[in-house]
Amino acid sequence: MSRLSLILLLIFSPIALAELDIRDPWIKNLPPSVPVRAGYMTIHNPQSKAVSIVSLRSDAFASIEIHQSIEQDGMMRMEQLPNLKIESNSSVQLAPGGLHLMMMNPSEPTQPGDLLEIVIVLDDGSEQRVEMQVIR
Amino acid sequence: MNKSSIAIVALLALIGGFSISWVISSNKPIELEAGLWFGEQARALPEFELVDHTGQALNRTSLTGKWSLMFFGYTHCPDICPASLQTMSDMVQAIEDPDVAAALRVYFVSVDPERDNSEVLASYVTYFNPDFTGATAIKEKLNPLTRSLGIAHEIRNKVEGNPSYDVDHSSAIVLINPKAEFAGLFSAPHDALAMARDLTRIVEYN
Repeated sequence: MSRLSLILLLIFSPIALAELDIRDPWIKNLPPSVPVRAGYMTIHNPQSKAVSIVSLRSDAFASIEIHQSIEQDGMMRMEQLPNLKIESNSSVQLAPGGLHLMMMNPSEPTQPGDLLEIVIVLDDGSEQRVEMQVIR
Repeated sequence: MNKSSIAIVALLALIGGFSISWVISSNKPIELEAGLWFGEQARALPEFELVDHTGQALNRTSLTGKWSLMFFGYTHCPDICPASLQTMSDMVQAIEDPDVAAALRVYFVSVDPERDNSEVLASYVTYFNPDFTGATAIKEKLNPLTRSLGIAHEIRNKVEGNPSYDVDHSSAIVLINPKAEFAGLFSAPHDALAMARDLTRIVEYN
């Protein structure tokens, strides 16, 4: 393998492996007395086929679920989604008041400025690592 | 202009005149930038008794003399409740008139008294603003207040022994005037700057 192709491989391999383009991943911080956090991000699927997120995990949390806040009968309620499908060439926004990651039981108290890594598992079995910033 | 068009114009003018006088006389809620203002139609709150995060009683009398904003939720709610409290924190920061800011108090009432004791509430509300007050009570004591404000709440998926369950609740922020009357309502999604402008107008006008 030539040096050039090795360099090209190193430069482009992370992009080729990352199936989803994740923007602004952040976690709303809360005081240590509260054992849940919400995570938000914009997920873009640049591929020509739909992709589904089937599960998430992190060393920083006991579990992570995909939830949606919805208004029903004049009340807000949270529904867990079994997976999150992102159509080809489309984006899905996780934002306050709607879709969000429900992150339960932090393994250590979270602080604004922390960078916490989570793993997104897709329906084709591939995994994608995302660093999420804790924001006050 | 022919006769029939004159008749139509006259009729429209008549309807217009009626609707204007009806709006003025009906005392209907006034639409604000971010919510509804009940004006003369404010309703007195019933007697109620909660406990705030410092262990003091919070009742009708404690609400008199200041304008109060009240949001109902629970601390284990990761999305809606932090977003609403953050909005109220941003709103307080955005109020430019110091007299308006001084006349306003913000309350977070937990409808999940089992998990939200005074200690949890204290660290939770003061995280957003050191001047915010948290309060709660058992369901029977919460109901007179929540019913009078039209706030619905319901514990769901609770299994004995499992500390993880959901609490559904109204997302509106309620405004109570210094006479302890239900005076207005801000519906979700909440906009901090629009609420700051509305509250400044209301407090300065009254």
